[in-house]
Order: sequence, then structure tokens, then C-alpha cells
Amino acid sequence: MEPYHTLYIALLLLFSFLLIICLIRAVKGPRVADRLMAVNMMGTMVMVMISILALLLNEGYLIDICLIYAMISFLSVVVLSKVYIGIYEERMHKENGKEDNSHDSI
Amino acid sequence: MTAFEWIRFLIGSLFLLVGVVIFLTELFGVFHFKYVLNRMHAAAMGDTLAISACLLGLMIFSGLNFTTLKLFLIIVFLWFASPVSSHVLAKLETVTCENLHEHCEIYEDISGLERELAARTEDKIAETAKETEAPVS
Repeated sequence: MEPYHTLYIALLLLFSFLLIICLIRAVKGPRVADRLMAVNMMGTMVMVMISILALLLNEGYLIDICLIYAMISFLSVVVLSKVYIGIYEERMHKENGKEDNSHDSI
Repeated sequence: MTAFEWIRFLIGSLFLLVGVVIFLTELFGVFHFKYVLNRMHAAAMGDTLAISACLLGLMIFSGLNFTTLKLFLIIVFLWFASPVSSHVLAKLETVTCENLHEHCEIYEDISGLERELAARTEDKIAETAKETEAPVS
């Protein structure tokens, strides 16, 4: 099984390199949505890496971990987006309330 | 390894190669575009197409057993999850961005967009009619 082993190791090295490039995008991204999108991309690549590892080690249960990782990655993107929308709306609401109060006092 | 196993190895590694090339395209697009809503278009490609190609290659490697079924389950889950997460991210961007009109056109109601599209198609029809008439006259 020599060619399979070589291929898996090469793919794992390549994906780790791509992950670092994704991390650069997450650090550079000027907006919150940029960072969340980069995290989503990293999750996709980690899923492929876990699947390759499952076949490399010949352990079927690692695929279950991959499935759970997919679900948690999806959940994290949805929940963080909702949280940031909530924070933004609350802040806007607060600023508008302050402006109204200042108008009243004047 | 026998000839059949070599053919299986080659087909599987071809699928994996396609997946890796699509991942590279995705990364290029993410660094090439200038705005989040454009970048999202490139990033959504990797979530469905690239991981499908990679896992299809791994399914061919693993043969016909329970692991293949679970890999297929991941692909099916991502088909449903990726559009939803892209939609939620786009919603986050459109809600929180205060100068969105600098990056794209915004229509307050859908009838304005429909009117503009109808005008555009009418212009196109008129142009093509002119082009076809020009050589005759």
C-alpha cells in the first residue's frame, strides 16, 4: 500500500499549507463577514483532512468525527452571524435612543 | 498491486486532484476579489464542489463499506448546510454594512429592479433590430 501512503501524506501537507493561507485571510479580513467566511473555508479543509486521516490510519470512526465537525462548523457560522446581527441592532438602537434623549434635553 | 487496483488508484487520485485544484481556485478568488459579497461567491464553491470531488476520490479508495456511506452522508449534509451558511453570512453583511451602496446598487423595492431590467431588455431588442436592419439599408 505504498502509493496510497505517499499520496495521503502529500495531500495532508498540501492541505496544511492551504489552511495557513486561509488563516491569513481570516487575520487580514477587514470585516466580520470576511473572517467568518475564512473560518468556514478552514472548516471545509479540515473536514477533508480528517477524512484522509481516517483512510490513512484505517479507522472508520474518524468519519463520524468528521460528520460532527461539519455540523458544529455550520452551527458556529450561523450562531456567530446571528449574534453579530443582534449586537449591531442593539448598538444602533442604543445610539438612536441617546440621540432622542439629547434632543429632548435641548 | 494488480492492474485493477492501479486503475482504481488513478481514478481516485484524479478526483482528489480535481478537488485540490478547485480549492486552489477558491483561495485565488478569495484573495482576488475586493469585497465580501464577491469573495463569498468564490468561497461557496469550495464548500460544495471541492469537498464533493475530494470525498468522491476517497470513497473510491475506501471501496464498498460503511465508511463510504458515511462519507456520502457528509457530502449530502454539506449540500444543505453550505447555502444556508452563505445566506446567513450575506445577511450579516447587508445588515451591518453602512455604506453598502458604494459597492453595489440597492433597490428599496423589487418593482424598481424589474422596471430597469425590462428597460434594459427593450434597449437590447432595439439595438439588435437596428443591427439587423443596418446591412439591409
